Amino acid sequence: MSAILVPVCEEEAAGMIRAAAAAGRRLAISGGNTRSGFGSPVSADAVLRSAGMSGIVAYDPAEMVMTARAGTPLAEIEETLLDNGQMLSFDPIDHRAIMGTDGEPTIGGVFATNASGPRRLSAGAARDSLLGIRFVNGRGEVIRAGGRVMKNVTGLDLVKLLAGSHGTLGFLTEVTFRVLPRPKTEQTIIVSGLDDEAAARVMAAAMGLSVEVSAAAHLPESVRGRFLGGHLPEGAATVLRLEGLAASVPVRAARLRELFGRHAPVSANENEASAHLWRQIRDVAPYADSTSRPVWRVSVAPSAGFQVVAALRLEAGIDAFYDWQGGLVWMRMEADPEPDLLRRAIAHFGGGHATLMRASAQMRTTVPAFEPLSPAVAALSARVKQQLDPAGIFNPGKMAGL
Amino acid sequence: MQTSFTAEQLVDPQVAESEKILRRCVHCGFCTATCPTYVTLGNELDSPRGRIYLIKDMLENGRPADAEVVKHIDRCLSCLSCTTTCPSGVDYMHLVDHARVHIEKTYTRPPLDRFTRALLAAILPYPARFRAALRLAGLARPLAPVFARVKALSPFAAMLQLAPKALPSASPASSGLLAEPGLRRGRVALLEGCAQPVLDPGINAATRRLLARFGVAVVSPKGEGCCGALVHHMGREADALDFARRNVDAWMAEIEGEGIDAILITASGCGTTIKDYGHMLRLDPAYAQKAARVSALARDVTEYLATLDLPRLAARGLTVAYHSACSMQHGQKITLQPKALLKAAGFAVKDPAEGHLCCGSAGTYNILQPEISAQLKQRKVRNLEATQPDVVATGNIGCITQIRTGTEIPVLHTVELLDWAYGGPKPARLPA
Amino acid sequence: MSETIAFLKPRADVLARRSTIIADLADLLPPEGLVHEPRELVPFETDAFVSYRRLPLAVALPTSTAEVAAVLRYCHRYGIPVVPRGAGTSLCGGAIPQEDAVVIGLSRLSRILEIDPFNRTATVQAGVTNLAISDAVSPEGFFYAPDPSSQLACTIGGNIGMNSGGAHCLKYGVTTNNLLGVTLVLVDGTVIELGGKHLDAAGYDLLGLVCGSEGQLGIVTEATVRILAKPEGARPVLFGFETSEEAGACVADVIGSGIIPVAIEFMDKPAIEICEAFAKAGYPLDVGALLIVEVEGSEAEMDAMLSLIVEIARRHGVRTVRECQSATEAALIWKGRKSAFGATGRIADYICMDGTVPLSQLSHVLKRTGEIVAGFGLRVANVFHAGDGNMHPLILFNANDPVEAAKAETAGNEILKLCVDAGGCLTGEHGVGIEKRDLMRHQYSEADLAQQMAVRAAFDPQWLMNPSKVFPLEGRPAA
Ligand SMILES: Cc1cc2nc3c(=O)[nH]c(=O)nc-3n(C[C@H](O)[C@H](O)[C@H](O)COP(=O)(O)OP(=O)(O)OC[C@H]3O[C@@H](n4cnc5c(N)ncnc54)[C@H](O)[C@@H]3O)c2cc1C
Ligand code: SF4
Ligand code: SF4
Repeated sequence: MSAILVPVCEEEAAGMIRAAAAAGRRLAISGGNTRSGFGSPVSADAVLRSAGMSGIVAYDPAEMVMTARAGTPLAEIEETLLDNGQMLSFDPIDHRAIMGTDGEPTIGGVFATNASGPRRLSAGAARDSLLGIRFVNGRGEVIRAGGRVMKNVTGLDLVKLLAGSHGTLGFLTEVTFRVLPRPKTEQTIIVSGLDDEAAARVMAAAMGLSVEVSAAAHLPESVRGRFLGGHLPEGAATVLRLEGLAASVPVRAARLRELFGRHAPVSANENEASAHLWRQIRDVAPYADSTSRPVWRVSVAPSAGFQVVAALRLEAGIDAFYDWQGGLVWMRMEADPEPDLLRRAIAHFGGGHATLMRASAQMRTTVPAFEPLSPAVAALSARVKQQLDPAGIFNPGKMAGL
Repeated sequence: MQTSFTAEQLVDPQVAESEKILRRCVHCGFCTATCPTYVTLGNELDSPRGRIYLIKDMLENGRPADAEVVKHIDRCLSCLSCTTTCPSGVDYMHLVDHARVHIEKTYTRPPLDRFTRALLAAILPYPARFRAALRLAGLARPLAPVFARVKALSPFAAMLQLAPKALPSASPASSGLLAEPGLRRGRVALLEGCAQPVLDPGINAATRRLLARFGVAVVSPKGEGCCGALVHHMGREADALDFARRNVDAWMAEIEGEGIDAILITASGCGTTIKDYGHMLRLDPAYAQKAARVSALARDVTEYLATLDLPRLAARGLTVAYHSACSMQHGQKITLQPKALLKAAGFAVKDPAEGHLCCGSAGTYNILQPEISAQLKQRKVRNLEATQPDVVATGNIGCITQIRTGTEIPVLHTVELLDWAYGGPKPARLPA
Repeated sequence: MSETIAFLKPRADVLARRSTIIADLADLLPPEGLVHEPRELVPFETDAFVSYRRLPLAVALPTSTAEVAAVLRYCHRYGIPVVPRGAGTSLCGGAIPQEDAVVIGLSRLSRILEIDPFNRTATVQAGVTNLAISDAVSPEGFFYAPDPSSQLACTIGGNIGMNSGGAHCLKYGVTTNNLLGVTLVLVDGTVIELGGKHLDAAGYDLLGLVCGSEGQLGIVTEATVRILAKPEGARPVLFGFETSEEAGACVADVIGSGIIPVAIEFMDKPAIEICEAFAKAGYPLDVGALLIVEVEGSEAEMDAMLSLIVEIARRHGVRTVRECQSATEAALIWKGRKSAFGATGRIADYICMDGTVPLSQLSHVLKRTGEIVAGFGLRVANVFHAGDGNMHPLILFNANDPVEAAKAETAGNEILKLCVDAGGCLTGEHGVGIEKRDLMRHQYSEADLAQQMAVRAAFDPQWLMNPSKVFPLEGRPAA
């Protein structure tokens, strides 16, 4: 992998891609390269980076819509939004700590990986906020999809297709996304000492209430000490986030405390401490341990998460904690990644998928990072890929078979 | 919706009226969702929007009715749920009435179907014949399963199954109960009708007692009889109009004589038709005005009772599932009064789920379309029973007969419960 | 009216084999599962976009995924076009058939399969109506959020086909944001599962692609949707303004101030009159424009939010503010709004536009819309989802007058172009169908369109699925 191509504009990028396609040169696509561990290793002839195409193109806070070039640093975007009392509602995870990468995450990379955090549970994923894109396809054509209005059903939703396609379908050059007002205040209710199953029940009950819990996670005793510098109360912590108007958060918090306080010790964290906790959950702090022990990201129904973990515990050394009401399981394996065990358990408990987020270099070449798709869906996905990147030059190898 | 009638076609007042109705339909499809036959069969042809379209196509092309169109129109219950739903105010009732007349005029039904319909038309509207027929039915009941096995004979099986096992004796105390002396608050005519006094004479008896207790004099004008609804829904227009004229004559005599405040009807199916006499006879110069007067005086018994301000009674710990007959809620748009009366009389009233759906009785529907009718009955009974009631109350004899064949829970007319609450005898069907 | 939008030419070979096809299909379906008598086909010739009509070859009414697959497999083998149909409430002609097509009606797939309160999901067959989902989960304290005005009748399959929205989507998102999984039958009869009860699916977001694909990528037979806890309380408030401009500006300011109510609906004077006549909801008749703003939450929250909104509305010269006093009143207010299109039928025929514009353009586009329609000597009523800029001008006309009908169509096209030019799009929630198909080039470049068509062809290389819709008839690639 020698050449690093850093186009400064869309046209240049299109030209580079046309040339690559013509020469059959395969390209590894990256933004800030902070999420390079995502997926299986790419075998490419050159790197194509979006970092040269940077800058916010349009932002009207009153419209709650921003357009930015794909290589714009996420930090720049978040800062601009903060200045206007707004935010990215989907709370993009920062993969650096867990993957051991450095560099600057870009907004293009956020959408290309559909990177979403704890608030995904209530506010949707990155793909739900993405309104429009510009990208260069594998033929070197500049394509525009979606737009800049909230509601748009004109034609096929290529925006969703490109979101989370990990650079295998096109090279994003510009993204337009919806932003939301930043909540004025927040509070996290901590229910202590629950086992995984009880925690799943508490989270389900909380989400079934009208108090609008915006995020729900369970941090078993094994990881509790890794959050907030060990300052969470004794015992496993089941945490429920409330955000909104200053007038309403305390009222809703009181309801939760009342309800769950009958069965377990309940405490609360406010504002900065609460926000910090959720950042740590988002960024998988407990497993940001500078090792290459395998880490899985498991997505299942909330009722299945703790069951998958319990089943695996019988057969392998694992540690786990839960986000998304228990439906997102972060799992660190003591030794082998055990993909077959894990995938069997997921299938057994109603389906879902697992992504290997981190592993030794050797493991990463042998274990498919993404969940293998059913033959029919895999074939269909391959046909779709063929229509966007006929020569197969984008990120070959990243998503098995695509 | 666009229509394409020629100027000549529009000379016919019926066609002109139907054209107007069709023009209002914007084909939004809202009505499909609340149509009992669509939710049962899942075919747009058996939905209001589908039927409207079939009728439109048939009328626009001036075509005689054919087996396909007839099949789907026959499946219509005339429950008018679609009319309640339609935001555009499409008058489906008069459109389908027109279609039925058109069918009757231009389509020759298969012999057995013709026979069944002729039989029903010849018996049901006439209490004496009906009573005799029911006695026969009692004897023939063992034949029902045999009939049921042959599709063409299934209406006969249905008839036999619907016939009550025991027949009440003819009209007890149907004759003049006088208003409590000293507080005469009104004078009303009470429709005797045709099938109801045979099947359940207790209903009008209870009505008379109740009204008398509150100072209302009740008269039964000579010569009145079947309202015509049964034949009207079969598209037998001439017969229907004859019944209507006869009743108009009977009531006009009373209206122009001592005078009446209202014509009370205890079967909402009949009420819907009588309220429509003005429309049915609008093209008959001799009757148009009189019929309109009659229609204007027609009231469901609960509508009238609601104006009397009956005293509130203490709760009596009895749960009533109120089944609103289609002719009540959709035909006459009476939804609040019956429940309010029951509540005021101390009953706990429950609304079943899917209250807008027909129970499948619909005049002669349960005889002519036994399969669909049975499915609707099941669904209705399931919803009623889910409210865990002590008794089901409703305001239409058709529904009463239909629902009784599907549940062990007693089914009564609303006025029977009211009469009991306000001092009358306890209805015999209630457990002691 | 002479038609200006063309359908694909029927395939002669298919028409020629009509009777064989009917006999074969009837074998694949239960009794009464195939409609084919010419007279019985007439009611299927259109949907809620009544300006265009085509008789189908036959209508299949399958009762299971397996039957859907069998019919598709057959049609695929013999190159017969298919048109999926839910409740046929599409406003863009999405469910209008064509002479050589078999309509696959999903109305008999009407069972609720599972309600799962723990995971907050409902799994239903494609023919279940939108409102039936909310009704079914209501006893458990939940609701299904996207609420198209047609929710009483439209099916979840159709909602997925169109990625439908509704008044409450301002807060909760549209169909695609609330859809977790589908069972999809591909054109060749292959049955696949996309997504499930988990929040994000593996691989490409094919679910996102299928949502809004207007029946061109496959037939949805089952769907798993996210359900939400019912709010503690909800209160619609009526704000009456002198002019549409004031109301429009107020909307932009409310959103801009960082308050997101659950819904902000807009009605102009003609719309107010139409809806009030039907619903008797107590809409003020002496104002030029009305906003229905709904807030949710506890009493305290609603009060807090409302006082902020009232303050903004005052700045825009609001004339009347009416809070509703009871649940019945609230229901009537929504009934009036949701019946708006149908109720319009009382006074005229209409076509309904669906462009979306940036909020800052709302007032301008409203004004220009009025001018365009007036320019054709027609009337317009506006009733729409203002909070997200999704306009619904209803152009009123007389369908029995061909000249007027043609004018209405032309005016509609101009309005849609106006929306695109103002930075918006042709359709916010009703879909492209046939109605807006030939305007697609106004919004997209050749390359943009070609890419979409290529992806579509990956699912259906022969263009058998709902083929006359969405994409201009020329330049369609095969996979
Ligand atoms: C009065 C009125 C008000 C409306 N209000 C709104 C509104 O507020 N918001 C809104 O978004 N829409 C609205 N609509 C439009 C319409 O109701 C929606 O588009 C609805 O989703 C269509 O659902 P349907 O079941 O009627 O589908 P149909 O009209 O039958 O079909 C719609 C499209 O989906 C496809 N399709 C249907 N079922 C399936 C399936 N199972 N699998 C794959 N494809 C399928 C069809 O081929 C077609 O392209 C309104 C319509 C009317 C008449
Ligand atoms: S009257 Fe009843 S059965 Fe007939 S079309 Fe209307 S809703 Fe359906
Ligand atoms: S609801 Fe009314 S306007 Fe809509 S299709 Fe039915 S009859 Fe026509």
